[in-house]
Amino acid sequence: MMREPRLYGMAIAAMVVSSLLLYLAPLIPTIVIDGVLFNSGDGPTAFERFVLRLMGGEEFVSSNLWWTAVVILLLTATAGVFAYFRGVWSALATERIIQRMRDDLYRRLQRAPLGFIDRSETGDLIQRCTSDVDTLRIFLSVHVVEIARAFAMLIVPLPIMLLVSPLMTLMSVLLLPFIVVFAVFYFRRIRTAFLHVDEAESALTSTVQENITGIRVVRAFAQQEQECDRFGERNARHRDLDNHLYRVLAWFWSLSDLMCMTQKILVVGTGLVLLATDRLEVGAFFFFLTVVGMFVWPIRQMGRILADLGKAQVAFGRIEHILGQPEESEGEDGVHLHSESVSGAIMFSNVSFSHDESAVLEEISLDIKAGSTVALVGPSGCGKSTIINLLMRFYDPDEGSIELDGVSLLEIDRGSLRSNLSVVMQEPFLFSRSLRDNLMMGRIDAEEGDIVEAATVAAIHDSIMEFDEGYSTVVGERGMTLSGGQRQRLSIARALLRDPAVLILDDALSAVDTRTERAILAALKERHHRHTTIIIAHRLTTVMQADEVFVMDKGRIVDRGTHAALLERTGLYRQFWDIQQSGANASGVDAEGGKS
Amino acid sequence: MSSSTPHLEDVLGTVDRGLWRRIARHASAYKGAAAGMIIGGVLIAIVEALMPFIIGVLVDSIIDGSNTGKITWLSLAYVFCCFAFCVLVWCFIVAAGKLATGMAHDLRRESFKRLQELESAYFDLQPAGWLVSRLTSDCRKVSSLMPWFLLDICWGITFLGLVGVGMLLIDFILGLCVLVVVPFLVVVTAYFQSRLLRSSRLMRKTNSELTAVYNEGITGIRTTKSLSRERDNAVEFMDVSRSMRDYSMLNAIETSVFLPIVTTLGGLGVGIALWVGGVQIEGGEGISIGMLIAFMQYAVLFSMPVRELAARLSDLKGAEAAAERIQGLLEREPAIGDSPEVQSRIDGANVSSGSSLANDGGMSQIETIEFSGVSFWYKKEEPVLRDFNLAIRPGETIALVGPTGGGKTTIASLLCRFYEPNEGAVLFNGVDYRDRSLHWLQSSLGIVLQDPHLFSGSIARNIGYGQPTAGIDAIKAAAKLVEADEFITRLPDGYDTEVGEGGGRLSVGQRQLVALARAILKDPQVFVMDEATSSVDTQTEFQIQKGIEATLSGRIAIVIAHRLSTIRTADRILVIEQGCIREQGSHQELLAAEGAYRDLYRRHFADPA
Repeated sequence: MMREPRLYGMAIAAMVVSSLLLYLAPLIPTIVIDGVLFNSGDGPTAFERFVLRLMGGEEFVSSNLWWTAVVILLLTATAGVFAYFRGVWSALATERIIQRMRDDLYRRLQRAPLGFIDRSETGDLIQRCTSDVDTLRIFLSVHVVEIARAFAMLIVPLPIMLLVSPLMTLMSVLLLPFIVVFAVFYFRRIRTAFLHVDEAESALTSTVQENITGIRVVRAFAQQEQECDRFGERNARHRDLDNHLYRVLAWFWSLSDLMCMTQKILVVGTGLVLLATDRLEVGAFFFFLTVVGMFVWPIRQMGRILADLGKAQVAFGRIEHILGQPEESEGEDGVHLHSESVSGAIMFSNVSFSHDESAVLEEISLDIKAGSTVALVGPSGCGKSTIINLLMRFYDPDEGSIELDGVSLLEIDRGSLRSNLSVVMQEPFLFSRSLRDNLMMGRIDAEEGDIVEAATVAAIHDSIMEFDEGYSTVVGERGMTLSGGQRQRLSIARALLRDPAVLILDDALSAVDTRTERAILAALKERHHRHTTIIIAHRLTTVMQADEVFVMDKGRIVDRGTHAALLERTGLYRQFWDIQQSGANASGVDAEGGKS
Repeated sequence: MSSSTPHLEDVLGTVDRGLWRRIARHASAYKGAAAGMIIGGVLIAIVEALMPFIIGVLVDSIIDGSNTGKITWLSLAYVFCCFAFCVLVWCFIVAAGKLATGMAHDLRRESFKRLQELESAYFDLQPAGWLVSRLTSDCRKVSSLMPWFLLDICWGITFLGLVGVGMLLIDFILGLCVLVVVPFLVVVTAYFQSRLLRSSRLMRKTNSELTAVYNEGITGIRTTKSLSRERDNAVEFMDVSRSMRDYSMLNAIETSVFLPIVTTLGGLGVGIALWVGGVQIEGGEGISIGMLIAFMQYAVLFSMPVRELAARLSDLKGAEAAAERIQGLLEREPAIGDSPEVQSRIDGANVSSGSSLANDGGMSQIETIEFSGVSFWYKKEEPVLRDFNLAIRPGETIALVGPTGGGKTTIASLLCRFYEPNEGAVLFNGVDYRDRSLHWLQSSLGIVLQDPHLFSGSIARNIGYGQPTAGIDAIKAAAKLVEADEFITRLPDGYDTEVGEGGGRLSVGQRQLVALARAILKDPQVFVMDEATSSVDTQTEFQIQKGIEATLSGRIAIVIAHRLSTIRTADRILVIEQGCIREQGSHQELLAAEGAYRDLYRRHFADPA
């Protein structure tokens, strides 16, 4: 179909030839029985004589009956060869289309703006990429040819059937329209029943999922019995709906069997009457008996094929939804930054950004000197992380401009921009491969020495060496789990390894204990001026060392200054500090330690 | 059919019969339906075998010019067979539904129950998704295969037997000639089924790899973009995508070779029948025209039962892994649970509600908790706790502090009996908790974990989890105590707001507050809080301090936190390092001692540089 018309055309042609040959095969016994074995007075018809002449003449066939066996075998074998090509070609066409589709989907997901991914649910996206693609695959590989086949199987034998007996032909197709209509209509009911079972099953699945992920809570509240009851309810509901589906199917198959059987009885009955009155020959009777079987049963599939066509259309629409997303512009005309020459000076001028129509940032202006360390603090939801998202160009501001080294971000090639910024997130993502590969992710040419150095600065080297396989340990394999702190430290090492112009720690030390945090900050300080460093943190002790602290609240910058300067004012920063210090002051410890 | 038996045995021989016998036991409640499948299979085979035969006899009778009585009788028999066939189809699908859905239901019920009983360590080792598919796809696979297996085996063997024997009885030589095809059919079918089984396994495996890569690509998108790895990832993805295509093609090619060979073998049978039978008819001896027609039909029909038999056997093999996993889960004995003695005490105790006795007849009130010489390890060489001793007095609040990996969470888990000590004992009121009811213990505790799991449903339902009788006023009171009321009432649906799966629509901090309110509403005897407010912002944390302090007063509480301000007010602070208590005492005492705690404290709040 799409983009592989030649292969599908060849597959359909092969299929037509193969079914033609399969129809011819039962014709041979027909002719042999009527023309040679059981010559009922009036002698062979012209058609029979023609076929017999092709096989070497009446006499030859009569005395060499083995030859008919060879002809039948040759016919079915040739039909088989064509059937083989039909299968392979349609599979090849389909698999090519599907492989391209999968690759496109993945590429598109990698390049889609972050906003699209954030708005979507992961499970839903994955479902579109896997089961929807599979629905389409099955439809393309099986049903495209199958639809052509259903028509071919009906139309191809018609001339031969009419040639043999017009009356028998009529009797053979009499009920077909009814069977098709029945199958199509009934299949709607079946689909509804299927949908109900699917829904019940996903309810069942999420009950189990929730129970397992929350198993400790279930125990903590001693709710095992109640959970069993809750599950039992859904389990029973699923069983009943599934059972109902079986019943619907039972009616469908038995009724459609009944119609097909009736069709067959019509053929047999008419055939026998014609046979008794000598208006039909035995061989022709056998021919119709076989042919009816060949197209009556497949015709029942029409209902399913049509239903699948509907499903495939829906699946295709869902896939197109992803493929129709814009890609992040591949800034071919954008400025490419040279890592060596980027100094890391950042400037936000009057930047505003809103999300879902509510303002997240309002007229933010920031200037960060190259090589300095600045901190962003403020209550949750004040817009700290949004600043990072804008800087990384995960999103673009609605108003205002952001510059790196005096160049507007919009003019810089996106990939080139990101390779000069390294961000470490609160919940860092590690890929399920070895620790070394994870660290090298951002710098493929890193050498072992660089890796160890970065890991040492991030205070994770020792922990890695404690694993049985050291740096070759694979993340997430065989129950190998890393604690939140270890993950954070690993991703700090990953970021450092890239030696970026700008290093961003977005609450990246929250799961690291204070002693380790101190070690990391001290090590980073030694690398001071190598990077511009932006730190977001809740714990103010983390940010005390910064050259400048920006205090944010409700999307605005409400204060800025060094730790010491900010403490002297009675602002939000001071308030935070007091809360966090309340214990210390009460106990009389001198905690006015901001000596930076 | 004796010639084909060894080949069937080849396939059957590799099927784990013991496993399936054990699985089949779960179908014992549906014996009627199973018997129905077996009888239905035999009957339908008889009907199907009869139909070509009746037609053959009919044709002969008409050609011979037999009396119309016989013809009418035979025609009626044919029509009867047709209807019987349809009725049988209806019956066995309904019976199959009963058996398959019933068995799936029972397997799921048993598995779910077992999951509720299994110890926590089991869940640490198995990813949740893996366990979920035990109860969903594995159960479905195993149970939906059962009825069709029964049906097709009975149908196939009866059909092959009847037709084979019947043909030999009607005309031994001709029958033998047509049956010559069958062994080839069996060999070809067995060969291709096993190949198809293999290639479809490869497809499934690659497919789950594909899903995993998509998953990683989507959940790791920020990291990918930050590291500018879009292109590299896409290239790596194409490898998996290509191997998926290769396996799909392999499977398609195998199918495309297999089916034509089967059809050709059918054609060979027809050809042989026509040749040998034709020679007989020409000689005027032996078989009649009608029977020849019947023989030729049988020659085509033979491939069906052979194919179905092989397909069912390979289904069985294909589902073996699933069956093993389910059976493994069902047969796993919980490592932590009520001992037989405790169980008999629970059965024997007749405790009325409101009594001061627990369900095992012991004292319900918890006065003291003691860790006595407790050691715990996952791996023996690396103990997490070593000879840990701690006696908690009535109403005492204990704070655990110390570096990550020091064993704080393990102490809490041992107290909750999520794990049991490898050495030593945990004593409640002086009695080893292994001699008490697990249900009593866990329902007496209020546990708040760092990762606050919420269940999908409204916020009110989550706070009221485990307390179905709690009214909305009580729920609101608990929420107010932890300052959650403010953010909840600001939500569009207030307390009726759906929290989403796992509480995903709330921030981690909000989830922690809800979890805290949930524990408070339960009004437990003992609180266990593991980093319960780690993601709550500083201001809120400050505001809820008073509420928590009030709640904890008069109860035993174990609190773990990084933030020292949270635990400052504890009666006793334990500094845990490397599985041991490094220091203990009140906040003041420890500061005065100038030890590890003071170090920790200073590092946390002040810059020592």
